[in-house]
Amino acid sequence: MSSFAALERQLRPIYDSLDTGSNKSAVVACNKLLKKHPGNELVKALKALALVRLQKVEESLVLCDEVLASKPTDDAVLTAMMHVLRGLGRNIDTVTMFEEAFKQQPSNEELGAQTFFANVRAGHWKSAQQIATRMHKQFHEDRYLYWSVISTVLQANDTTTPSSMKNLLYKLAHRLITSGKAPSYVHTDRFHLHLSILRELELYDEARVLLDHDVGKSICAANLACDELRRDITKLQNRQKQEGEFAESKIVEKGDRNWLEFLSFLDAVFIPDTETDQSSEAFKTACLDRMEHARQVLEKISEKDGKKDRSGPLALLELEKRSRSHDVKQDDQRLLTLLKSYLEQFGDKACCYEDLQPYVVLNGDDLSSWTSFLESIPSSITTINELQRRINVHKLLRFNLAISQLTLEAETTRASLYFTEYLQALPLGANLPNTELQPADDLAILAGCAYVNLWTISKEEKYLYIAASLLEYGLLKSNASFLMRLMLVRIYRLLGAPTLALEHYRAIQTKQVQHDTLSHFILSRASTFSLAATGDLTFATECLETSQIYLSNSQETADFVVRAFTGEKYSQIPEFIAFEDHLDNSLQRDIIKMEHVRMRFTHEIVNSDIMDLELIELKFIFDRNHHDNRDFQILPDYQPRSIPNFNDQTMLFGRGEGHGWLMILLRMYIRALQQSSDLDDTVEEKLLIGDRPKLAADSGNKAPLRDRLRERPQEDLAELTPDEVALLDFTTGLADWLGCYHDYIRPPPSVVLAEAAKQSELKTGHPLKGVEIPPTPPNGSANGHHKKDEEAPAITEPPEVVVNYFNTMKARFAEAQQSSVVDALHVATLIQEAFIFLVIETLRFKSASVVKIYKLNSLVQSFKAIKTNATEVLKEISASLGKQSDRESTAEARKVFTESCSPIVTPEVTHDFILNIAKKVGDARKKVLEGVGKGMTRVCSNHSQ
Amino acid sequence: MSVLRPFRATDMFKFNNVNLDVWTETYGISFYLSYLSRWPDLCCVQQAPSGRMMGYILGKAEGSGAEWHGHVTALTVAPEYRRLSLARKMMDLLEFVSDEIYRGFFVDLYVRCANYVAIDMYEKLGYSVYRRVREYYGSLGVGKGGRDEEDAFDMRKPLSRDPGRRSVRPNGRDIIVSAHDVP
Repeated sequence: MSSFAALERQLRPIYDSLDTGSNKSAVVACNKLLKKHPGNELVKALKALALVRLQKVEESLVLCDEVLASKPTDDAVLTAMMHVLRGLGRNIDTVTMFEEAFKQQPSNEELGAQTFFANVRAGHWKSAQQIATRMHKQFHEDRYLYWSVISTVLQANDTTTPSSMKNLLYKLAHRLITSGKAPSYVHTDRFHLHLSILRELELYDEARVLLDHDVGKSICAANLACDELRRDITKLQNRQKQEGEFAESKIVEKGDRNWLEFLSFLDAVFIPDTETDQSSEAFKTACLDRMEHARQVLEKISEKDGKKDRSGPLALLELEKRSRSHDVKQDDQRLLTLLKSYLEQFGDKACCYEDLQPYVVLNGDDLSSWTSFLESIPSSITTINELQRRINVHKLLRFNLAISQLTLEAETTRASLYFTEYLQALPLGANLPNTELQPADDLAILAGCAYVNLWTISKEEKYLYIAASLLEYGLLKSNASFLMRLMLVRIYRLLGAPTLALEHYRAIQTKQVQHDTLSHFILSRASTFSLAATGDLTFATECLETSQIYLSNSQETADFVVRAFTGEKYSQIPEFIAFEDHLDNSLQRDIIKMEHVRMRFTHEIVNSDIMDLELIELKFIFDRNHHDNRDFQILPDYQPRSIPNFNDQTMLFGRGEGHGWLMILLRMYIRALQQSSDLDDTVEEKLLIGDRPKLAADSGNKAPLRDRLRERPQEDLAELTPDEVALLDFTTGLADWLGCYHDYIRPPPSVVLAEAAKQSELKTGHPLKGVEIPPTPPNGSANGHHKKDEEAPAITEPPEVVVNYFNTMKARFAEAQQSSVVDALHVATLIQEAFIFLVIETLRFKSASVVKIYKLNSLVQSFKAIKTNATEVLKEISASLGKQSDRESTAEARKVFTESCSPIVTPEVTHDFILNIAKKVGDARKKVLEGVGKGMTRVCSNHSQ
Repeated sequence: MSVLRPFRATDMFKFNNVNLDVWTETYGISFYLSYLSRWPDLCCVQQAPSGRMMGYILGKAEGSGAEWHGHVTALTVAPEYRRLSLARKMMDLLEFVSDEIYRGFFVDLYVRCANYVAIDMYEKLGYSVYRRVREYYGSLGVGKGGRDEEDAFDMRKPLSRDPGRRSVRPNGRDIIVSAHDVP
């Protein structure tokens, strides 16, 4: 048996260990093999992979660089190394590795493809394009030509490409695609790519030739994506008339009921025949004729479809709406007639309200006759259809209520009407299995909306008690109603009962990508409720678990981009890349990150390792172009259009945090961490492993980070609560005050690097790559302190905003405590955060030798005084929260709750049922108040010196 | 009345109102992308004029020889948009593409034997039971519906390439296979 076969056999268990995640035994097996074959690249690569997976980054790096230096070409080595480098975040090195290998074996087509894919994964579209072009020349396969075409398009669309280049690149793509031997229409996705290039270059006539070709026509008839492009190009080409006729034939002859066809059909009605003025009489007359024709067509369709399809009647409404906006209406009554008949015909469908919403934004006489029509509809609810109709009537009436109709009294009457009818209608769904939604659900949701609105009007918490109780009852009947749960999540957060909110959030079982779109419900400003300081990591863990999706995105999505290339699904590639980018640069991702950092610092010892780590991560985030993927539409909203919607009404502290909030928090943290860290940019550059984020083409124009950290744009501030603004003022004052001392003492980069190299060598036995340890400077001392030649900055008094913060906020806390549980928690946790900022900013001055060398005694004295005062304030607040928590789970508190809910106490919703909720709310509040209070004392004692 | 358009990767940010329904599973990213990277023309969305997603269908083409066919992997409609024949329209499209583009012999799908409403609907659309697959939904365990809850019907409908209707049979409900025997 050859030694090669023997080696092969010995490798198998290593692969098995890696596959099953037994990385430790993989390392052991590799070490054994390396003794026999010390130079074997594959074994080294596999060991490096196992080490990466064991988080032993430094050790892995050494092996990884060794293998890379040998410029491997073997398939197995390359594959293993691809995984190693991916684990280290070094996509760019993967590219180099494959390029080197391909250079050595230029006729290896598979290697060429791998090199292309490595560039694709790294988003290097220009090199990808060059490789594809080369491959096309060399291997004469059409698909390589198309790879080069789409790479060019992707390069054009990339944020790193200057906008001036875009057109040029599209022209190049166009030249490439027309150079192919076979026409693009032999393949649907090639055809799609071709059309999208022509659209971008506005070469509509050329596109028309393709579209009017028989093959082009048949592709569009069977492929929605191509048809979408066709529709788009036709519109851009000003061929709405032809498109309208085409749509009409599809609707009438083929029975097509795609709403897009109806829209094209209606668009054509209002397009002027010539370029003449739209308001001319001739245009109006022509329009009237076409409207009449359209109406006849649509009426015929409506008649034919009956209840089977809503397209005809809805298109008639749309026609009427458009005729009004074009000022060519003929009959004032028509809109109302159509609305009434629509409601009559489709009032028993759940979507009727949503269908009609765009058409019922009415005023004046129209509104009053519409309202009296709705009010005249009989209110009997003896069948499910009648119930659905009743629900639609309620929603439609509510939609148009004016502010004057939303008094405390009127809303109370309405709320209890919805609720009474809800109870009355419940028996209609009594026989449904418990997995089904109850047909009466929307009445409970309407009542919930009304009670929440009563709370916004009156600011009386009792209305939230009622809303919570009746929705809890609704869930008892309709356990699968995620809408009620989401409403409850919001309400319980407002009530300061975070554990109950979390329970409901978990019950809707968000998974995978939903973590990105829905986690804001539970994690927005979650540090307010975090008990991390006491060791209860519920919310911190929730942050980490939720963030898993971003890891899977970065690990998986690029694979599918590659697959789409192999399968030539060009239409999908830009979509996948957009998806990856939206998730990678998700606003929610970084809001979660920020919340986690805030919780982390209350829980862990604040030291330079943590601070450096967080600093680097937060700096990456700071330069991202964020996408807001958060789903707020999911919340039901049946509030009248004259007032804010349910989502806005139930945001914690009345302010939704978005990009502005995140940027302010980032500025606060980055600035503080940067001041206290020894890592400056040059050090970071040397020590950081992995690729840096791509910078957008315009980022070169940005001001230096130092200046950007001091910005306070008004639109960002608007997303902050006044108490958050106070924290910002405090941290800014603190940073301004202490900045110069930090700068003066911070060791020079060479010293920091030397220290890092020393640590790394101690750990791995190898020197740090690319770092040369300079000889100890003549004025340097053994413990790493270096007196600078420049003048020491004069010691100044702390600014007022810093000195007074804690006492001012103590008063503010007393006020907040009177207002609500969440307000108290909000202020308390922010004061605690200010204290942590104080710890971060003063950590450098903790060492006695530093203070001595730099003569900082008086500085230290002044922040010590602030810290002592802060500790006292925190302890007082902690005690006060403790007392408040004791009041929450008493019989008295429960009595207040149950008495508030008396309007909904009925034979169905019993007193005991409500008492149970009162108890749960009381317990949840007690827990969070007590925990936050205890946490504060813990934070104080952690940082007592 | 709804917009019929292709399912896009970014629709994953928008499908909560459909997917939070208890019967609709939310899979990992790779599930959706694997369909879109191979059969994008068999995946489409119904969207309300307001822009809200109403439902979607995900399908694939698979099998070899006379078994080459279109398959419905997921078909779902948000609760508030049911009883509007959206499912039928999406099935129409999937059948049309399976027939015209993929030239499949039939379209098939799996449905819980206890899901009478769905079975009834598919029968109205021309599908018939080809076989019963034992413990296809095994992970759920035996629920209230007993065996019917975890067994699946494999239902099929012949396409134009199968004029002799060789891909269906009248006694399908009596033909029982185990979950290991189906792809």
